[in-house]
Amino acid sequence: MNSVFLALVAVVPIAVGASFASLAMRYVSTAAIEGMTRQPEIAPQLFTAMLIGMALIEALCIYTLVVTLVIAQRL
Amino acid sequence: MPKLTAESLVVIVNAAVVSLFLVGAGAWLARGGLSATEPGSRQNVGEWVLQFFVGKAREMAHGEKRDMILGLVSSLLATAFLFIIVSNLIAILPLPLLNRPPTSHFSVTLALALCAVFGTLIISAVVKGTGKTLLHLFWPNPLQWVSELTDIMSLSLRLFGNIAGEYMTVALVFAVVPWGIPLILHALGLIPAFVQALVFTLLTASFLANAIHDADEQPAAAEPAEDEGAPASVMGRIPAEGRS
Repeated sequence: MNSVFLALVAVVPIAVGASFASLAMRYVSTAAIEGMTRQPEIAPQLFTAMLIGMALIEALCIYTLVVTLVIAQRL
Repeated sequence: MPKLTAESLVVIVNAAVVSLFLVGAGAWLARGGLSATEPGSRQNVGEWVLQFFVGKAREMAHGEKRDMILGLVSSLLATAFLFIIVSNLIAILPLPLLNRPPTSHFSVTLALALCAVFGTLIISAVVKGTGKTLLHLFWPNPLQWVSELTDIMSLSLRLFGNIAGEYMTVALVFAVVPWGIPLILHALGLIPAFVQALVFTLLTASFLANAIHDADEQPAAAEPAEDEGAPASVMGRIPAEGRS
């Protein structure tokens, strides 16, 4: 397997993963900020829940980063 | 065949340095004795650091084993948070070998995740009994033990990916532009360093709450309001407090 092909393949997972993870994070942060501005009393609870939700989304993106790193190590 | 490379040696030494720093800081803060009635200035600092974890533990501690849950849960959460955040922040030290964060090596984060998940299982076994804990892994759904494995994987990979990605970015940029730009990246790296430690702690806390709570369903419903902090339910508190 030539390394140029592998380098091109290694870019694909992280690009797709980061794109969709950023879309999902947009939904989470929009909803959380809307909730915080409507009800500032529960802003700390909403912030905690937002962080956990973002972490769960981000984990999927990190999996694609791991796949990219595994492919990149075989270059 | 695992080999002891220079990189893993640096990581091991740095993890030991972080642990020694935390133990030393704790011993220094507790020096001169602790007092419940007249806390000294150092005891105040220590309590300020720990009060978040004690509040988290107080949310899930009720029933007759309340004090035991409080001690076990708050110490587990505080240990995980402090170790992870000091390990992450070690990257901003301007020292040549010491600025390799231990959490940017997968074996360290895997060890942390194993400690978190098995600690959850052990605390659950202490609180509600070994039989119930083992049954919980198989009973309502016979594949429930798979979720523990995915918890280990997601906790360790998330921490590793964030910190290692940050470290690699800084190292690559540093190789190209040694002045100025790495400072900005370090300043941005403070955010994931804190957020990842917080996320690891909060996810461990939610696993713990799930593992402990299904033992006693009835106290959760009929629980009286706690003395301070730890609201029993968020929605019930809003009208009482009013707008601030």
